[in-house]
Amino acid sequence: MLTIPGLRTGRFCDGIARRDFLKIGGLVMGGLSLPQILRAEAQSGIRKSPKSVIMIYMAGAPPHQDLFDLKMDAPIEYRGPYKPISTNVPGIQISEHMPHCARIMDKLVPIRTMTGSVTGDHDSHICYTGRSAKGVVAPPGGWPSIGSVMTKLCAAKGGEVPPFIGLAPDARHPPYGSPGHPGFLGPSYSAFRPNGAGMSDLVLNGVTSDRLADRQKLLASFDRFQRDVDNSGLMSALDVFDQRAFDVLTSSKLLNALDVSKEDPKVRERYGKGDPKNFGDGAPRNNEHFLVARRLIEAGARCVTMNFGRWDFHAKNHSELLTHLPLFDQGFSALVEDLHQRGLDKDVAVVAWGEFGRTPQINKDAGRDHWPRVGCGVVAGGGFKTGQVIGATDRLGGEPVERPVHFGEVFATLYHWLGIDLNNVTLPDLSGRPQYLVDGWQPMKELI
Amino acid sequence: MKRSPIILTCLLAFSATVLAQPASLKIEATGAPELTLHGKDARQQLLVTATLADGAVRDFTHQAAYSAAPAGIVNVDANGIVTPLADGAVTITAEADGVKSTLAVHVEGAAHEAPINFANQIVPIFTKAGCNAGGCHGKASGQNGFKLSLLGFEPAEDYEHIVKEARGRRVFPASPENSLLLLKGINSTPHGGGKRLDPKSDDYALLVRWISQGLPYGQESDPKVTKIEVLPKQRTMTLKSEQQLVALAHYSDGTVHDVTRSALYEPNEKSMAEADEEGRVKLFDQPGDVAIMVRYQGKVTTFRATAPLGATVASLPPSHNYIDDLVFAKLKAMGMPPSEPCDDATFIRRVSLDIAGRLPNLEETQRFLADTDPVKRDKLIDDLLASPEYADYFANKWSALLRNKRTKPADAPMNFGFYDWIRDGLRANKPYNVFVRELLSASGDVAENPPVAWYRQVKEPQQELEDTAQLFLGMRMQCAQCHHHPFEKWSQNDYYSFGAFFSQVGRKPTTTKENEAIFHRRGIATAINKKTKQPVRPAALITGPMEIPADEDPRIALADWMSERANPFFARTLVNRYWKHFLNRGIVEPEDDMRETNPPSNPELLDALAQHFIEGGYDLKTLIRDITRSQTYQLSAVPNHYNGPDRQNFSRYYAKRLTAEVLFDSINEVTRTPSGFPGMPAGTRAISLPDNSFNAGSYFLTVFGRPESSSACECERTQEASLAQALHLLNAKDIQDKLASDAGAAAKLAADPRSDEEKLRQLYLIAYSRAPEARELELAKAHLDKPRKGTDGMPLDAAKSKRMGYEDILWAILNTKEFLFNH
Repeated sequence: MLTIPGLRTGRFCDGIARRDFLKIGGLVMGGLSLPQILRAEAQSGIRKSPKSVIMIYMAGAPPHQDLFDLKMDAPIEYRGPYKPISTNVPGIQISEHMPHCARIMDKLVPIRTMTGSVTGDHDSHICYTGRSAKGVVAPPGGWPSIGSVMTKLCAAKGGEVPPFIGLAPDARHPPYGSPGHPGFLGPSYSAFRPNGAGMSDLVLNGVTSDRLADRQKLLASFDRFQRDVDNSGLMSALDVFDQRAFDVLTSSKLLNALDVSKEDPKVRERYGKGDPKNFGDGAPRNNEHFLVARRLIEAGARCVTMNFGRWDFHAKNHSELLTHLPLFDQGFSALVEDLHQRGLDKDVAVVAWGEFGRTPQINKDAGRDHWPRVGCGVVAGGGFKTGQVIGATDRLGGEPVERPVHFGEVFATLYHWLGIDLNNVTLPDLSGRPQYLVDGWQPMKELI
Repeated sequence: MKRSPIILTCLLAFSATVLAQPASLKIEATGAPELTLHGKDARQQLLVTATLADGAVRDFTHQAAYSAAPAGIVNVDANGIVTPLADGAVTITAEADGVKSTLAVHVEGAAHEAPINFANQIVPIFTKAGCNAGGCHGKASGQNGFKLSLLGFEPAEDYEHIVKEARGRRVFPASPENSLLLLKGINSTPHGGGKRLDPKSDDYALLVRWISQGLPYGQESDPKVTKIEVLPKQRTMTLKSEQQLVALAHYSDGTVHDVTRSALYEPNEKSMAEADEEGRVKLFDQPGDVAIMVRYQGKVTTFRATAPLGATVASLPPSHNYIDDLVFAKLKAMGMPPSEPCDDATFIRRVSLDIAGRLPNLEETQRFLADTDPVKRDKLIDDLLASPEYADYFANKWSALLRNKRTKPADAPMNFGFYDWIRDGLRANKPYNVFVRELLSASGDVAENPPVAWYRQVKEPQQELEDTAQLFLGMRMQCAQCHHHPFEKWSQNDYYSFGAFFSQVGRKPTTTKENEAIFHRRGIATAINKKTKQPVRPAALITGPMEIPADEDPRIALADWMSERANPFFARTLVNRYWKHFLNRGIVEPEDDMRETNPPSNPELLDALAQHFIEGGYDLKTLIRDITRSQTYQLSAVPNHYNGPDRQNFSRYYAKRLTAEVLFDSINEVTRTPSGFPGMPAGTRAISLPDNSFNAGSYFLTVFGRPESSSACECERTQEASLAQALHLLNAKDIQDKLASDAGAAAKLAADPRSDEEKLRQLYLIAYSRAPEARELELAKAHLDKPRKGTDGMPLDAAKSKRMGYEDILWAILNTKEFLFNH
């Protein structure tokens, strides 16, 4: 259940006060489940917010100084072989291997000073929750990821597509395959994973659609059990979800969204193909995921996460990088451009980042090691103030010297942008303690 | 009983309006016969209570008209708030419908502005305005560089931050109104938190005066709040009615002041009532009990409202034991007629699921339904309690709560050993206090002493104290680690003193890799209070510090204290937990949040259950027997005309969804397709799994919320519905395979030479423990006889068609609410 302390009204996504929800249609207050909220919203005719989030985890942590923050004043053993190129925003330069991003820099915000990893251990956790997996206190059950929080707090956009979809397939190193965990919110708030367990539930299994329709009728005539034996809302919630499940199974909306062959070949070409196989123990470099993410959002998902590659280049950083960066550049820029072309750039926020940065000095194996002191990220869409760079590092790219940005600040920005009142909305953890969505971080003024 | 609900509603409305003529009025302020107001800042909320002709009591504070004579001494506004104007004696009269009541009031020092005390007068303003809430300046890191202590628990720190930090830029005594503190508060300088203060309010004026007085902190000798009190303490109210509260703070100098407008109010059941900032409680249309927590300066108290339904309880089913006496007494008082006793079919399914975590099998059901023995229900309960499945089911419950978690493959022997220890104890009906003592005082190696496993999972003294408090004492202490508990009396000192019982838990390596033995480290048990940095001795919440010699294990002292007959928490927590297991709602809800501000819905029942439990020697099976034998437990889940809205008085059985494991096993049972788990014998049921490690391999168990044993909270077992569950149950390949299995129920039923009607009767008995109704038989037979086409569009042969028909019927049964719920 959602609790909001104090007397001031907390706000869900869409800026609707909880009390407004509760008053709707004489709905009984307290213990509101998601479907109750949905129904309340439907009954009240409140316009649903179209806002959605796409999060891209660059698994293994890319070298920030070879992407968005080239250090040409640093000695060769720091700066590596790559050159910066100018972008369509005067004064902003990025890696020569990101020509597509350079072309649309006015639609991007590179953040050169991402901080927050405490231990420098690999984890997707910080990229999906804003909190380091290790080195900080976590409540029992763990912190929920943004997709799970959105499932809990934001109204679903459509009945046929689950609100939270994680495109990442399992990886040999499990965090590289995580779509973001539900944490203490529990499994009801997990991601739907087209590449994981539960996906087979989304397509009919040995049953034709006629037979399913027949079964649905049979069930309706069988299931005459008195609903009023339960007044907790659970039984009606099950009915709502059953209905939505039938909608998912009978409409092809979700499957169509996942099927890129339904897309214009020219558009597919812009995104590129990449490689659907996992890269080592990491995520795949699957450029089609960028396209699928957009298609899912259009079909009604609220949050889509995807993991890309395995950027953990402890050896041969610069040659290995070329197996990743050009693909990423193509897919990511295609996604951002596509959102703009479709007029979705105000309603969809996109974030791509890794869990930390990499060592300024190139090591004996020509690689770069873990560097939790600073890393990079890039934000697009959301109607944010794009075409600017946030933060600056020192001459060697080893320390933030201007505007360090904690992962939590980006999450605060997203939640705020979604209309969630960060100061008042809490989620109870498994000890009953009300937990705020972020640890005191504020929305970034630079972006909003 | 068949009276229409419309008539009832009319009666209620009638009684609420026409009969609301007061026969007498009573005006009160502090409960004392006279009221004295000291100083210019004194305010007093009056409370006017009417007694109606039928003896009912109603709040008339906002209906009464107020007058004061002589004039000029006080002002009384329409809401009954008294403000002093001049010194003197005055009589305040409240009048409604020609009935009057008077109160004598003395005003002293009306012109006198007493020096302001920061902690007593200024900090509560920040609390009320929400400035120091956990989401704003009250969080550990503050907000935008300005930090206040959470809910004002640390006034000295707040003073420091407001007056001295940032070179004093927040307050400006030369021009108080231009202080940043006020400009932000009224939002005339942009403020992230918006407008929190009204420049016309008393609070604002007081802040201005405090700043102009030169920011006094107050004297060490100034009175402090010792307790708070609320008037009235409890009330029986009609649905949708209102009640004004008066919050009073008692100070160390013996004075009592009205703090109604400074206190915070919060209902424990938000579906039942709301309270505004002025202490006005409004009930909604849900009958039952609700407690309004009143908080002021770290002190808490509660106002309890009872909202009877007010129907006539014409007859009650026969009482079976003390439980029924107490539940039915409450139902009578609430005017809430209970549902009928449930039938035998419902009972055998319900009690088998609740005690043994499984559906009754066909033979059991047939035998029970045919049995004419008048005490057959009691016998069934005894049989179930004697069955191994009882131990399985409750071991499953306790194993999760005691965090029997597989964190790595090498944990397996420990997990199995601990599980077996729990299960064997339940099987042998080990007294609960012994069970807890063995667990808490466990020492040695896990191989020899399995409950050591708990200390292997719960590694820090703080976690140990938090789990112990939540599991065995129903106290959520976590908050008190970092600050005074907002809803409780517990302070950080209480927290760390309780933790001191675990301060002497020693850990040493054993010969086995990664293993750890637990021992009592000799020494005087001490913990450091992280706030004061002072050492504290073990104290069990209400005991005061205990003197425990250095060579005695403090954990034994803790277990001794728990087992004391007078312990107010230990037995109550367990009986409440078990009550919820069976009745689907705790007498205190949630079951492990038994704070004073969250009172039981039926205190007498909770006390009686605890008393019987203690006197019976902490016998768990006897407790279960008492609960399941009661008529209360055996009531139907189907509401009558009146008790549909009941959610806390047990006027009917509250249906609950089958848990992940039970549902999994039940589906296997009905489809006759046993499942296996890796490393476990074939046919192992989910209910008998020793730990959480099997969840990862079972999407079913994960998606239906089998806990991961990562907390001591029952709430980890999520009972929420989700789309993933619906999709799985309706469409999963696993389920589809079970339905279509050649060895499964559909294939067997299709091949069975008996008539469809006979087979359907049997199927209904297995799934629902009841015979099908004629309508259901017709539907099912029609579905079986329907001609079907194959995927190629050609008509199917009769055998295939019948098998598909049975698959569909099984599928439909598994997805009915009647199957998914225990009701």
